[in-house]
Amino acid sequence: MAYSEYWNPKNETLPREELQALQLLKLRRLCERAYATTPFHRKRFDAAGFRPDQLNTLDDLRRIPFMTREEWMDSQLATPLFGDLLATEQANAIRYHLTSGTTGRTPIRVLDSMKDWDWISEMWCYGFWAFGVRPADIVYFAFGYGSFIGFWGAHYCCEKMGALVIPGGAQTSEGRIKQIIEMRATTVCSTPTYALHLWQKAREMGVDLAREGRVNKLILSGEPAGSIPAVKRQLEEAWGAKCADTAGMTEVGTIMIFECSHQPGGTHIIEDHYIEEVIDPRTDQPVGYGELGERVVTSFGRGFIPVIRYRTKDMVMKVPANTCTCGRTWDLYEGGIRGRWDDMKLIRGTNVYPRAVEAIIREHPAIDEFQIYIWRKDGQQDEITIKLEVKPGHEAEWAELQQQLTQDLSSAHEGLRFNIERMDYGQLPHFELKAKRLVDVRPIAQYE
Amino acid sequence: MNISDTDLLGKPLTESERELLHVYQALKQLAAREDLPPCAASNVRKALSAMWQVTNDLDLQFEQLYDLGV
Repeated sequence: MAYSEYWNPKNETLPREELQALQLLKLRRLCERAYATTPFHRKRFDAAGFRPDQLNTLDDLRRIPFMTREEWMDSQLATPLFGDLLATEQANAIRYHLTSGTTGRTPIRVLDSMKDWDWISEMWCYGFWAFGVRPADIVYFAFGYGSFIGFWGAHYCCEKMGALVIPGGAQTSEGRIKQIIEMRATTVCSTPTYALHLWQKAREMGVDLAREGRVNKLILSGEPAGSIPAVKRQLEEAWGAKCADTAGMTEVGTIMIFECSHQPGGTHIIEDHYIEEVIDPRTDQPVGYGELGERVVTSFGRGFIPVIRYRTKDMVMKVPANTCTCGRTWDLYEGGIRGRWDDMKLIRGTNVYPRAVEAIIREHPAIDEFQIYIWRKDGQQDEITIKLEVKPGHEAEWAELQQQLTQDLSSAHEGLRFNIERMDYGQLPHFELKAKRLVDVRPIAQYE
Repeated sequence: MNISDTDLLGKPLTESERELLHVYQALKQLAAREDLPPCAASNVRKALSAMWQVTNDLDLQFEQLYDLGV
């Protein structure tokens, strides 16, 4: 059967003037409804002197106050469990999810209705279809299926498309590898870290995934590494499959961006269902194409909790739609999500971003797991140590690896000295979902 | 049943869009009824949810259905 290249040809190729007219119309209705139904937004709009009828052009968007995670958390703490963000009664919800809360912060709690879940899976459909997933595919989810929203929407997306879904929850990595081979899965969904881990585990089991498996598409989410070229290259070679990046967030319930089969080195923004702004986080002013900034998202989908001008702290660089040859009229984020503005660490006057460090480390396929360890020497001098595990069978490369990494990391960071320390295999934590490789044990400054 | 002749951008509906919108409106009417047995009421809401997504994707409506439990 011949399929359209696009999931929704009408909107994926909509001329940009029409796309922006559609966004303006949806934005106005979204704000009217948020004002009428959601005390959280009504208070904020009133405080900022904003009225939905002031939205006459898309630029008027900037009259709307930013929404922050801190406001969301404060509202939840003041009025447990959901704050004053719900636009309808809890009785209309069919699902509850929450953020992992691993940073010690209050988790964001979300509710969704039946049609909200249809929309959540629909956003994944845009991405999966664009990367070539079709009804004949056999899709394996290496995912724990818990309260974290993760790949839930992607699972339903594949059922909606008519693909065969294999939910690989609550299993060992060995069990998952066996199932991927046995069921002749063509598509595997996981975090980039876990896809690397599965490959390593398969090698230990004597399984060559590229030769013995049938996987031709790896769909990644949950970490910025899905768009790091060295990670992608390693994964594509290891699995013998093409690799696509996607990114989503619990706050909107699903993905906002996806990589199409043309693999343009970036991710398309689903612009008929979102407005994605990029701003300078210091001045709050918009930045242009090709400039790094912070993502600010407005969602036209989740109706239960309206998300309007939400500051994500994600670091992105928007480029025009014609950067990609696929024919979509939707702009892209070159390099996907490049990390978080609040991830930046200052070490002896030099800015260090974990994703930039990972990009250098992953140029060396002999490295398995790593950790960025920041500490203070003699209570005075900040130090950065990269702790590394070398893959079994590559131990002889260590001396050269250590020298090369020290040089590469230093030259990419204004001459900053990095300590490189080898750990025994299995000593560092390994991850299935979002990897946490940054450990900062410097004492926190106390002020009287 | 009152069916619009245009989409959200004011473009005339195609024949298939008109049919899809018609099905969506019919399901809305069914979902509002109170005389359906649980097996019908629940599955009508599920069908309405799917048709909401179709018509939402094609810019035929931009509305919420919480008052119908969808």
